[in-house]
Amino acid sequence: MSTDTHATDQQTVAVWGDKVQLRVNVAGSGDPIVYFHPAAGFHWDPFLIELSSGHTVYAPEVPGTSVGDPHAIHAVDDLDDLVLLYEEMIRKLDLGRAPVAIGQSFGGMLALELAARYPGIFSRVVVLDSLGLWRDDMPVASYMEAGPMELPGLLFADPQGPAAAAMFTPPPDPEQAIAMQAGLVWGMGCTGKFVWPIPDKGLRKRLHRVEAPTLIVWGEQDRLVPVGYAQEFADLIAGSRVEIIPDAGHIPQMEQTERTLAVVREFLDAG
Amino acid sequence: MKVSVLAQTPYRELPDDFESKYESCVTTPWSLVDTEKIHASFRDSLDQLMFAARSGFDGLAMTEHGQSSYDMVPNPSLMASALAYATDAESLDVAIYPVGRSLGKAKEPLRVAEEMAMIDGITGGRLMAGFPIGLAYDANINNGVPPIDTRARFDEGLALVLRAWSEKEPFAFNGRFSQHRWVNIWPRPVQEPPPVWITGIGNPGTMQYALENGFGFNYFGWFGIKTTGKRIFDRFWDMAEKLGQPRNPWRTSIIQTVCVGDDDADAERTYAKHVEYFFRKAFGAIPRERLFLPGGIALPGLQAIMRDPGDFGIYEELRTAGWQFLLDSGCVIAGGPDTVADQLIDICQEHGIGHLVAILQSGSMDRELTEKNTALFAERVLPRLRELWTDEDLPNHWWPQRLGGAPSLVGDTKKLEVA
Repeated sequence: MSTDTHATDQQTVAVWGDKVQLRVNVAGSGDPIVYFHPAAGFHWDPFLIELSSGHTVYAPEVPGTSVGDPHAIHAVDDLDDLVLLYEEMIRKLDLGRAPVAIGQSFGGMLALELAARYPGIFSRVVVLDSLGLWRDDMPVASYMEAGPMELPGLLFADPQGPAAAAMFTPPPDPEQAIAMQAGLVWGMGCTGKFVWPIPDKGLRKRLHRVEAPTLIVWGEQDRLVPVGYAQEFADLIAGSRVEIIPDAGHIPQMEQTERTLAVVREFLDAG
Repeated sequence: MKVSVLAQTPYRELPDDFESKYESCVTTPWSLVDTEKIHASFRDSLDQLMFAARSGFDGLAMTEHGQSSYDMVPNPSLMASALAYATDAESLDVAIYPVGRSLGKAKEPLRVAEEMAMIDGITGGRLMAGFPIGLAYDANINNGVPPIDTRARFDEGLALVLRAWSEKEPFAFNGRFSQHRWVNIWPRPVQEPPPVWITGIGNPGTMQYALENGFGFNYFGWFGIKTTGKRIFDRFWDMAEKLGQPRNPWRTSIIQTVCVGDDDADAERTYAKHVEYFFRKAFGAIPRERLFLPGGIALPGLQAIMRDPGDFGIYEELRTAGWQFLLDSGCVIAGGPDTVADQLIDICQEHGIGHLVAILQSGSMDRELTEKNTALFAERVLPRLRELWTDEDLPNHWWPQRLGGAPSLVGDTKKLEVA
């Protein structure tokens, strides 16, 4: 990633009986947004920078994915543990009011797990190309099995475009390149603990419990989680609506930042 | 030196263009197979091992590969139990050695303990138990274990197996991956307990684990022993020294492909195309992504591998490998009997290796050719290897007592419980 992950303040929240020091990136000012990062870990990107101009963005890092603390993942056994740990973190952040949740891919699934188990925890929920459901007729790609040559094609509508280049061009310094690459792989390994081998851990039967107004955003050319899942989520979450972003793959906010920002802002402003 | 023969059960008639179209595991199309050939694959594999036992080898080995075209053995206990009975019936005193029952893969480790105890019972105490952490494609993809949990599942599984074998009274096992209110397996093994080997590719954590717990370390040398042997075994013996343990060659083993011809030229003429078949269509046709999944290697190890991929030897080149290249790297040791014996003795002497697990059937080799290789090895190579380490006065704790070993109890198995 060429974006600067240090453009945020960092705080740690002790959770899970103090066994996990959960790192939370914080930026901006205004009503709180909690951002749930995708499978490979947290990166501070233009979409989040824009959102932080009108909101305070809190972006926690899944245990194990924080630089310098890779073994924290071993304190968390399964998805139930992770959801409890995040709920504790949100309570301890003491945000004053229920925040908006925005989750990308793996993070979308995590945000919806929290919204389903703790109705009232979020004022609104936005998911971008979320994991969490499975249909045999449109299988979710097994991204953890994908080789480095296949990943750009799974993630981007245009694998040769600038968004793909921004993600996959390694830094010139070899040690930094190794740190980045190893970090991405380890990040996928940590989050993989909760979605392997099929990212369906029962969310389908819990989604009827989601009470927060929910916006489901999807890149039309998503080859990782096919766009058909947008309607599948919408059918299961009462009162939700769908926005499809053309010319975008699995990460619409990277490939079509303006268009994605526009639909997300419109939804947040209506709240 | 103790020498075992490892037989896999490959499908031997894959098409010429196989490696450019397919992978050799997980998604290999079953439609390539003529099912009439399956029976012969199994019969030849079992017969080869019986032939080896009758020829004077010390042990018969097999391993575990699920959803694999190069070794159709998803459960090595089935092969081992057939051989356990057959060798018992002929009074052939050989070790029965499943080198690769993966406890990172096993979702029923107690069943593994039971199956191995049965094999030990059928053989009257000739079992050697090999437990690898697990191949990523098999443990994670075939069996659905999250890669980041493979190691923890292995640790817990091995603790359960060893306790189930050794505790006298029924006990409760409250693990993260297995819970059993009463563990009291019938039968327990005849040996108390059978020798335990950890098969691995040289991961420092795994080697340390084997050393600290008194297990043997069996190096899986398909990456080319001449390329990787020095770094792996130097690392192992350095570690042993730091732990204050003697350089006892009996605690190490290598798996090695070997082809013995009448002379060097005959070996090339006879075996080259079959060995190339194996490395190109079998091991070389496992894509890297099948062996390394995110989470399977901890972050520091991952960074170390990215800086220096040397532990993987010539793996990347296997899919197009030719005979000379395979010889030079040590992926195969081949030639006339003296060439083979000289090289194996050099390697084992240099690295302090007391057990050899020889693969004598490679790729498309048929029954007749495999028999030739096995017979030449037994007659001309084995007697020379036997001499190695006989002068040393070190006990072999990693070989069944009934076969001349002096297995020692594996410390305090409760200590292993921590996942």
